[in-house]
Amino acid sequence: MNCNKAEKWVLRSLDGRLDERSGGLLREHLEACPSCRKAETEYRSMLALLRDGKDAAPLPRFWERLEPRLREEMEIAPLVFWERSCLRAIPVFLVLVGIAAGALFFTPQAAELSQSEALLLENVDPFSETGQIFSADKADTRNMMLIFASLDEKTPVRRPLP
Amino acid sequence: MEERQLVRLAQEGSPAAFEELVTKYQSKVYSMALSFTRNREAADDLAQEVFLKAYLALPRFHGRSEFGTWLYRISINHIKDYLRKKGRAKEVSLEDVHEVSFSDKEQTEKAEQEREAENRRHLVREFVQGLPEKYRVIVTLRDIQGLAYEQISQVLHLSPGTVDSRLHRARRMLRKKLAPHLIGERGAHEL
Repeated sequence: MNCNKAEKWVLRSLDGRLDERSGGLLREHLEACPSCRKAETEYRSMLALLRDGKDAAPLPRFWERLEPRLREEMEIAPLVFWERSCLRAIPVFLVLVGIAAGALFFTPQAAELSQSEALLLENVDPFSETGQIFSADKADTRNMMLIFASLDEKTPVRRPLP
Repeated sequence: MEERQLVRLAQEGSPAAFEELVTKYQSKVYSMALSFTRNREAADDLAQEVFLKAYLALPRFHGRSEFGTWLYRISINHIKDYLRKKGRAKEVSLEDVHEVSFSDKEQTEKAEQEREAENRRHLVREFVQGLPEKYRVIVTLRDIQGLAYEQISQVLHLSPGTVDSRLHRARRMLRKKLAPHLIGERGAHEL
């Protein structure tokens, strides 16, 4: 075992993290190596000093001083919460507005108005023409008027009334 | 009462449960702050702020780690922030430690021995302060606070291997600085 490894093992041993077999090997090395023995003593002394008196007591009345601060913080905390929530809500609101605008923009326009709907919008009776057709005396005339009316459905231009 | 139960009650808003947790950990948090700041008032303030932070963060504590580990993590982060704001601690050299003097004369009086032991402790802490931050933190957690390796690994979010190697390096650095003041083979303080 070299001295570097021995030093690592010394520290592990002082931490209680060295197994039995390695501990035996380390002891053998320490017996033969004065510098590692010195290092071991120094480490032991150093760690003892570090661990000595680790838990110092805080200044008196620690809880009595802390409690009002906690209460004060708890009073502020809801305000801080709402402030943060509002800040978080801004981007969410902007995203929602964007989605709504997109939906309006991309929604397909309503289908073209039918002839009857167009007439109704123009405040004209859509049945007036039909009435005229059925009131025709001759069957031939009636048939011809029906034929023209059916053609009229497919053309946007309205046939002038007879 | 079990710590887990105390934490649950504190989360539900019981000040008495939180008080018990504070009583249990106040010395640990305070001494950790003290080992970084070397100032009792500053350490006390830091400890209070750590508990304030912990109280406000309690609803977000889900018990994935021990409460103590979680509290140490808050402490370390808060102390680091404080030190960062305050500016880097300067390297401590032997010349800086005026008030410490050692004597290898035989001291028979108990008071004198205690004073000397306190001086030695003080000197060691001074040198710990002189270490780079990452080494100072790990030595403080392990050798002063006595945290287990696994706990340090959780507090600092480091792998156990990194904790091991970093701690080894830190102790080597510390020993190198302290060697002239440590007990020699014959059991005497060497000067």
